[in-house]
Amino acid sequence: MNRRRTAALDLLIIIALTLLVGSILILACGAGPGEALSLFVQGIFKNKSSMVEVLVKACPLILTSLGCAVAYRAGFFTIGAEGQFYIGAMVTTALSLGLTGVPGWLRIIIALAGGFVSGALWALIAAVLKARFDISEIIITIMLNYIAIYFLGYAVRSFLMDPAGNVPQSAKIPKDGQLQVLMQGTRFHAGILIAFCSVVIVWYILTRLTAGYELKVVGLNQRAASVNGISVIRNIILSAFLSGGLAALAGGIEVIAIQKKLLEGISGGCGYTAVLIALIAGNRPFGVLAASILYAAVQSGAGSMQRQLGVPSSIVNILIGTLVVLILAKDLFHPRRRSSGADTQKGGSGV
Amino acid sequence: MMQQILTLSFMTAFLSAAVRLAMPLMYGGLGEIYAEKSGILNIGMEGVMLCGAFFSFAGAWYSGSLAVGLVCGIAGGIAVALIHGLLSIYLAKDQSVSGLALNMLTLGLTSFLFKLMSAGQGYQQIQTLPSVALPGLSALPLIGEAFFNKDILTYLLYVLLILTHIFYKKTNLGLSFAAIGENPEAAASAGVPVHRFQWIAMLLNGILGGIAGAYLVLVQLGVFTEDMVSGRGYIALATVIFGRYTPFGMFGAALVFGAANALQIRLQTIGVSISPYLLGLLPYLITIFAMLGAVGKNAKPESLSKPYIKGSR
Repeated sequence: MNRRRTAALDLLIIIALTLLVGSILILACGAGPGEALSLFVQGIFKNKSSMVEVLVKACPLILTSLGCAVAYRAGFFTIGAEGQFYIGAMVTTALSLGLTGVPGWLRIIIALAGGFVSGALWALIAAVLKARFDISEIIITIMLNYIAIYFLGYAVRSFLMDPAGNVPQSAKIPKDGQLQVLMQGTRFHAGILIAFCSVVIVWYILTRLTAGYELKVVGLNQRAASVNGISVIRNIILSAFLSGGLAALAGGIEVIAIQKKLLEGISGGCGYTAVLIALIAGNRPFGVLAASILYAAVQSGAGSMQRQLGVPSSIVNILIGTLVVLILAKDLFHPRRRSSGADTQKGGSGV
Repeated sequence: MMQQILTLSFMTAFLSAAVRLAMPLMYGGLGEIYAEKSGILNIGMEGVMLCGAFFSFAGAWYSGSLAVGLVCGIAGGIAVALIHGLLSIYLAKDQSVSGLALNMLTLGLTSFLFKLMSAGQGYQQIQTLPSVALPGLSALPLIGEAFFNKDILTYLLYVLLILTHIFYKKTNLGLSFAAIGENPEAAASAGVPVHRFQWIAMLLNGILGGIAGAYLVLVQLGVFTEDMVSGRGYIALATVIFGRYTPFGMFGAALVFGAANALQIRLQTIGVSISPYLLGLLPYLITIFAMLGAVGKNAKPESLSKPYIKGSR
């Protein structure tokens, strides 16, 4: 059978089943599907502001997923974007509040760059343990996430706490240190442009530079890489550095463009979502861009359903989880091909 | 402060809390030993436990019976483990991806169902499983209270640990179950039904992971909260590695994590002036050091997370 037609058919079945699951869940909440659908669409396309809001929501996802994609290309299966996001947010906040004598534009650059480097270094912990001692990066990065989350909880109650208030959050970032809104009446901020540029830069690195090629070789076959003089350790560390930096950049932008202060739960779990978005996008930068915007749109629509109909927004997690499970399970749709379906797996990213 | 810590009553309470807090890790870790020794890595243990926790709460709440709750929790755990089995055994897909997707799916699903169930209002606690003191043993100083004045699920775990140890060390069947995680091709040519054994291992993984989640609800807390497993599934994976894939090694490792957690809580209750948030990150930090400590002792099954495809080499 025609391979491309089978793939298209698979995709249709997967989307149809995901929508079916979504409809069942909405019905289970006692909401009418027609009404729910119209609210869902309204949540995304109501006006200019709501459409821009999709991009605002997509911005942290683009950067964190891009980070995951870079790491996965090198076979470094990090789940650490969540923690790196927090570290980036913390360091960017500290620099934004601390560098008082520096002009605003320069402070923004230093704060974001500092955030990037701190997240990159944070990611290096897991990369070094993986490269030197072959310790599972999956478990280490998840542990590092919890450490970062607890540490942020400590920070906003102590050295980063707003001295003027008694709630666990930092002082407000001064106006001249915030990323400005670029489009009146919306929240379109300069960080979104940074995210778009990052996609192009990472795409260029991965597809046009030798470094990107080496990364890919290491990800596909470590032995072949080292036999051909490509350093596995160096590439894992490089990919982790870039990956952690991008996730931390997302955290920094969230602080100085959206929240304008540091607070707990600031990531909204996007570091975990990013893992699945990168996988769905096949670790391709422009795929990541598209999948992040799509996810953000679904999130916007679901948010509107939650406000109007009380459909819990955790439905988004269910749908993305279902989507990935179905993508993995797609060989079930045509059992005869199952034995050859094994060629799609990557040989396991073991613990 | 030191004087407060070094009293017998402090140590007894501390050790007792350590065992109690380690119990979900031990059940989860034991389930993961069965899976990983047969070559299946279940990163989705977090999701297995979360489903175990939610469905045990729902079951116990609607029926008013802890036994029904436990059965429901086990069923929830089995469901997640078997989906992972379908993807990783039958379809030979990447086990890490499958596990992570299941974690996201179960996190969403349990939160969603819990919101529907509670309809915005809070739940009261359910009655938790009572402790039963073992006569004689529970009178031992220090360890008696900690290990032998516990709920029946704790005692069940001791039995399961010993049985698992005997199973892998002393029986031919156990040897076959371990062989398929080392070299499935060789095991298959020796007549071991690799896939069937992997399915059985995943079933055990689901049962034990389900109990692990149910333990949180039915013994420790009496309530369900969103994302209540909060990383214990992943820590359970770490205890297996740290414990070098043996039941008793895992038991010791889980006890270390339980102790870290108990210490954190105990120090807070006696009013030590360290931020609870700094103490809260202690168990996770210890996990990382524990993983470092296990470096070089290569106990990992050779074919862990490599799908076995019949007839391929």
